[in-house]
Amino acid sequence: MFEEKLKEFEPIFYPKSIAIVGVSATSIKAGSVWVRDFRSAGFPGVIYPVGSSGGRIGDLEILSNLRLIPGEVDYVIVAVPRQSVLGLLDDCAAKNVKAVHFFTAGFSEMDTQQGRKLEEQMLEKARQGNMRIIGPNCIGVYSPERKIPFLMGILGQSGSVGFVSQSGGIATKLATIGIARHINYSKGVSFGNGIDLDASDFLQYLAADPKTKVIGAYLEGTRDGTRLFDTMREVAKAKPLVVWKGGRTEAGAQAALSHTGSLASSAAIWSGMLKQAGAIEVHSLEELTDALLIFQQLGRGQGIRAVIIGGLADGGGGNSVAAGDACMENGLKVPPLSYKTKHKLSELLGEVGNILCNPVDVSQAQFRGLATLFQAIDLVARDAISDVVLIQEDIDILLPIYSEKGLEEINEFFIDLASRQNKPIIVVLPPGSVEAERLQIEQRLLAASIPVFSSMERAAKAIYRLNQYSCWREAE
Amino acid sequence: MVKSQNLLTEVESKELLKKAGIPVVEAKLARSKKEAISLGREMGFPVVLKISSPDVVHKSDSGGVKLGLANAAQVGRAYSQIISSVKQAYPEARIDGVSVQTMAAPGVEVIVGMSKDAQFGPVLMFGLGGILVEVLKDVSFRIVPVTERDAREMIREIKGYPVLQGYRGQKPASVPALEQLIIKVSQFVEKNPQIRELDLNPIFAYPDKAVAVDARIILE
Repeated sequence: MFEEKLKEFEPIFYPKSIAIVGVSATSIKAGSVWVRDFRSAGFPGVIYPVGSSGGRIGDLEILSNLRLIPGEVDYVIVAVPRQSVLGLLDDCAAKNVKAVHFFTAGFSEMDTQQGRKLEEQMLEKARQGNMRIIGPNCIGVYSPERKIPFLMGILGQSGSVGFVSQSGGIATKLATIGIARHINYSKGVSFGNGIDLDASDFLQYLAADPKTKVIGAYLEGTRDGTRLFDTMREVAKAKPLVVWKGGRTEAGAQAALSHTGSLASSAAIWSGMLKQAGAIEVHSLEELTDALLIFQQLGRGQGIRAVIIGGLADGGGGNSVAAGDACMENGLKVPPLSYKTKHKLSELLGEVGNILCNPVDVSQAQFRGLATLFQAIDLVARDAISDVVLIQEDIDILLPIYSEKGLEEINEFFIDLASRQNKPIIVVLPPGSVEAERLQIEQRLLAASIPVFSSMERAAKAIYRLNQYSCWREAE
Repeated sequence: MVKSQNLLTEVESKELLKKAGIPVVEAKLARSKKEAISLGREMGFPVVLKISSPDVVHKSDSGGVKLGLANAAQVGRAYSQIISSVKQAYPEARIDGVSVQTMAAPGVEVIVGMSKDAQFGPVLMFGLGGILVEVLKDVSFRIVPVTERDAREMIREIKGYPVLQGYRGQKPASVPALEQLIIKVSQFVEKNPQIRELDLNPIFAYPDKAVAVDARIILE
């Protein structure tokens, strides 16, 4: 599907040589920052800095004109004022450039006739010169595999998550949250005004890209809804597609004469469109990153029957009740443990009654040592009544009881359990008073491919969405 | 009231829908009290009378609807009342007469409609009728053309879906009949791009079928 996009987009995501236009030897211009960021990221291709005043940036010579570049240029990043963009496109065409990214702003987003006209002229020049445009008014491409950093030099590990974003701010947040939460991107792009390449083009590319296994998107609108809808429908057949639509406007055209017209808000229509396309709709940056994380870590859903271990030590009772509520409210099933498991647990923990039902409170194990705790968790995880195991780990409570060493053993046990079990283990680490320790544990678990969330609600929503995609695929 | 050349009357709207195979409670235009009474006799009482005017969108707001008319005398009285109260509410409205139709047995009320979105073109809407659609906005949308799967899902995704399955002794609504109706409406609007907006509101859903009791088509 969309295989032709791979070749077409190679100069964008895997350029051999790039030019950065708007570089100065003396003042701090956006172009200069870009050159430094590319170099510190370790971009392995050739970099040509271009700037009218010439001079040097580091050990690179700044060429006064793009046409003076001695070799070929695949890809050009432009950070010059908008008055110069048309002339620059002529230079690019003369050098047979494949794609041009305009960081430059001040076009149709200003809602001026002049801005729109300039965009039309840019597009015309690009068509004539057989070039593609990214932007204008955008931060462009993120390609960790090719060591192409995002704005401000952001560069995380290369991975399997692709994203497209209409907003540079959201794109940057995705990249930084990704670094913090081990969401490793294959490719990302912020396409701004999208006068040439837009969401549909990049979604098609990511669908074809063998490195990308799941795709996230932040969109505010589209110039061609039919194409976007058709594209999403195709893309979702190939890979999970998680979409956050920003900008919820009120219902319909004022001129609506029908009930239907008066109820047709853009949010309601987007929701319907996304369901119809098989995309997964989310409503915030948190939900988007949570969904991308769980798809990255687990690939596909195995079912929505959750067994919940609400507490590992003191205070597990109330947390268990709340955890059960959170899961059920977000669409998960929480079936009771089998009689056999309950019986074994009560032998092990000396407990009777509801606390050994589901959610399970194994806090009694704290009086019998870690080995008993692990045995209890093992029993619960093994019970065939569940498709997924959710464990709430409250570091505030565990640290005083088990100390750092005990905590480490507990988390190593989770990692071991996850590798032995044929169902996913998901850990909830609520924020509290020992953040440094909590973050360390989160990193350890994430690195071992265990999805970690900061609340049971977020975990439950993510699990539900993971399965939503699997169900949709099966019914297709 | 709107001044619109583009608003089809209920009688015209239902004729188009019927031709497209969409089940409707057929309505006929009576231009006089006498015609109304004779149509009532022909169709069988009880009947419903509604104002027929290209300028009146919300018929019941202006006293333009009379339900459950059981005999000729009631029909005659209703005719006069409708004409005079609409004339009072909208003195400039063009009035064709009244539409006459049989009084449909009560069923679960739902709405199916179409409007055009600036980004995605024609979209279909499904929801429960009455207060649920007006206040709670418990409706679902899909882009035209709507597939069988889409129709199935858009019915099931509204919060009020259990109402269709029957509650407190009320008979369940035929979901397959509603699915078929949605698909037919999708085909209808696809074939008729000149339609700008469409309401089938209400549709009465029964255990074995679903019928549009009122319909409104607005052309481009």
